[in-house]
Amino acid sequence: MSKKFILSIIICLALVAGGLLIGPDEVTGMAKQTVTAAKVEKAPAGLDDPVWQKAKAVQVPFEGKEKFAGKKATVSTKAVYTADEIYFRFNWKDADKSVTKGAWKFDGQKWSHQEGNEDRISLLFEIERIDKFATKGCAVVCHVPAGKTAKDGKFGTISAAEKGDLWHWKAARSDPAGFADDTWLTQISEEKGGRKSDAGKGGDQKNMTADKSKPMYMLAPGKKLAANDILLVAHAVEIKDYSGFKAGDTLTYRMPKMPEGSRADIKALSRYADGSWTVVLYRSLDTGNDDDTAFNPRKKYNFAMALFDNSGDEDSYDSEVLTLQFAR
Amino acid sequence: MNKRKGNPADTLSDMLALGDIITRLKSMRVPADALTWHRFSGSLLLVLLVLLFLSGAFMAFYYSPVPGTAYDSVDYALFSVPFGDVIKGVHYYSWNVLLIIMGLHLVRAFIVGAYKSPRQLVWVSGVLIMLLLPALIITGDLLPWDQNGFWTTQVRISIIASVPVVGDFMVRLIQGGPLTGIVALTRFYVLHIFFLPVWLVFLVVIHFHFLKQRGLSGSWAENHSNRQTISFFPQLVNRWLLLFLGVTLGLGLISWYWPAPLGDPADPTDSTFVPRPEWWVLFLNQLVTVFKGSLTVIGSVIIPGGLAALLIALPFLDTSPDRHPARRKKVILIAVTIAIILLGLSIMGYLEHFNETHA
Repeated sequence: MSKKFILSIIICLALVAGGLLIGPDEVTGMAKQTVTAAKVEKAPAGLDDPVWQKAKAVQVPFEGKEKFAGKKATVSTKAVYTADEIYFRFNWKDADKSVTKGAWKFDGQKWSHQEGNEDRISLLFEIERIDKFATKGCAVVCHVPAGKTAKDGKFGTISAAEKGDLWHWKAARSDPAGFADDTWLTQISEEKGGRKSDAGKGGDQKNMTADKSKPMYMLAPGKKLAANDILLVAHAVEIKDYSGFKAGDTLTYRMPKMPEGSRADIKALSRYADGSWTVVLYRSLDTGNDDDTAFNPRKKYNFAMALFDNSGDEDSYDSEVLTLQFAR
Repeated sequence: MNKRKGNPADTLSDMLALGDIITRLKSMRVPADALTWHRFSGSLLLVLLVLLFLSGAFMAFYYSPVPGTAYDSVDYALFSVPFGDVIKGVHYYSWNVLLIIMGLHLVRAFIVGAYKSPRQLVWVSGVLIMLLLPALIITGDLLPWDQNGFWTTQVRISIIASVPVVGDFMVRLIQGGPLTGIVALTRFYVLHIFFLPVWLVFLVVIHFHFLKQRGLSGSWAENHSNRQTISFFPQLVNRWLLLFLGVTLGLGLISWYWPAPLGDPADPTDSTFVPRPEWWVLFLNQLVTVFKGSLTVIGSVIIPGGLAALLIALPFLDTSPDRHPARRKKVILIAVTIAIILLGLSIMGYLEHFNETHA
């Protein structure tokens, strides 16, 4: 009987081992790149918090489009999550820090816009399933009419039932306020695309006079410029006397507003050093807002990213669609 | 009479007029080793089948068999219904474990010569159950309408289509048209939740019928005249319920920690997706790979069909009364050779599909 008992135990253990070997991953097809969010007890306190070492970095390749066609970029991507929040950390090489975004420059006689845009990174998740997003990624939400260029394209879904959650970190227009712009995608129409801002307030305000000839605001006394020497709306005061400016002075053109409501869900930390950007974006797993993806750690999510190197919307580096999963 | 009224179980039994049935069940005797630590595969298979039926019924409550909504309905059942992913996991792991246990059950029955007279039809009905299972798995795989299920079905349909003469007809019958769309999904759904389960239940009943009539096989070494017995009810039933509880808890825990996979939604335009064969079908997949072109039929029909026919016919081919393996060397040698070939093919299939590096 004891021999039978031992044999039975061995069989049971073998069955359990067999069951574990038949892991879920064994039956899936060609794998997409997967970013696995590591579970951490304590949220990362900054860009270099040791807690980031718990997450495996995924080197995500990006392909250049339009003026970047033929070029490639790579973004090292990590993610961690706590009981309440999810954190992404991105690091990519960029020879130049671009935060100009048409900033004003005074030449001693007149004001003019400086050449230059800004660096950005964006992420698109699904709120409600977007048909074929899982396989085609951002391509299914970029609609360029036949015979037109990317600049004439519309960004959005093809039906109202499909909804996307677009996280948009902007080095000049959102990061200085400590946020990424929280927007969402819905159906495009004949007239316009489907990109909408989340409920609440935010975005940026153009700093210019009614005749668009010069800036209207400057830094208020006692206030400091935000990161990247950007003037925030909250720190601005109307210019009463322009005579104090001297040649070479610059002023922010697109002043970030402090976001409120659902638009203030995604917080950001950043650093540009040694020719590369390091950006952390984080928000609640479930914000409770219907213009945000509610992350369930038991589920996998598709997402795609785009990188903008001192460029407009049409000139970008795009990633393939990726999978976000949560480690237990 | 007063005593009976005081017992709620007896009162209920009286109300439902079950007294005679319960008395008969209580008087029914079965071998004491019908369900023990060292002999449990048959009972475990029944546990797994019951779990498959229960978890499948739960998922059917939420399922919508239309390509546009099937994936979302499964996604909803998994992640919006409390413990939905655990129940789906129990369904997923149950059939995986079922295949393993069924294989062990078959191997044990073969080694102890349980297919020999007078239990030939116990063996035949068991083999028929085993042959029905792939049909249930194949029809079930498509239902979530995810990439793996969709493209795996395409591979299977192309194999069926390669069968001479009847291939195209069978594909039309299964799919209801040239493409895997709404008609195919509806047919797979009806087959999976109705026709095939009905056949399965029928075969299980037949299997138990022959088992009851012909008796449970013992080890070749046992002295059957002195075989100990226990009552079917409540002793055997209680053991089975204990096993059911343990397996349910075990599979529930595994499902909680390692959820069943749900891939990306099916995209029929994404021909870059290469499905990987599941472990139990690796040898069949490799047979199709080995026999290519005009020889495909050998790998897709002749060899698998021949093996199935051989299994069914075994009790009528090996008619000697000897059950001890040492006195059945020829049959054992043939079986071991076939098993080694199938294992080799499976390893080849594994190396081809799972051991490659993807860029």
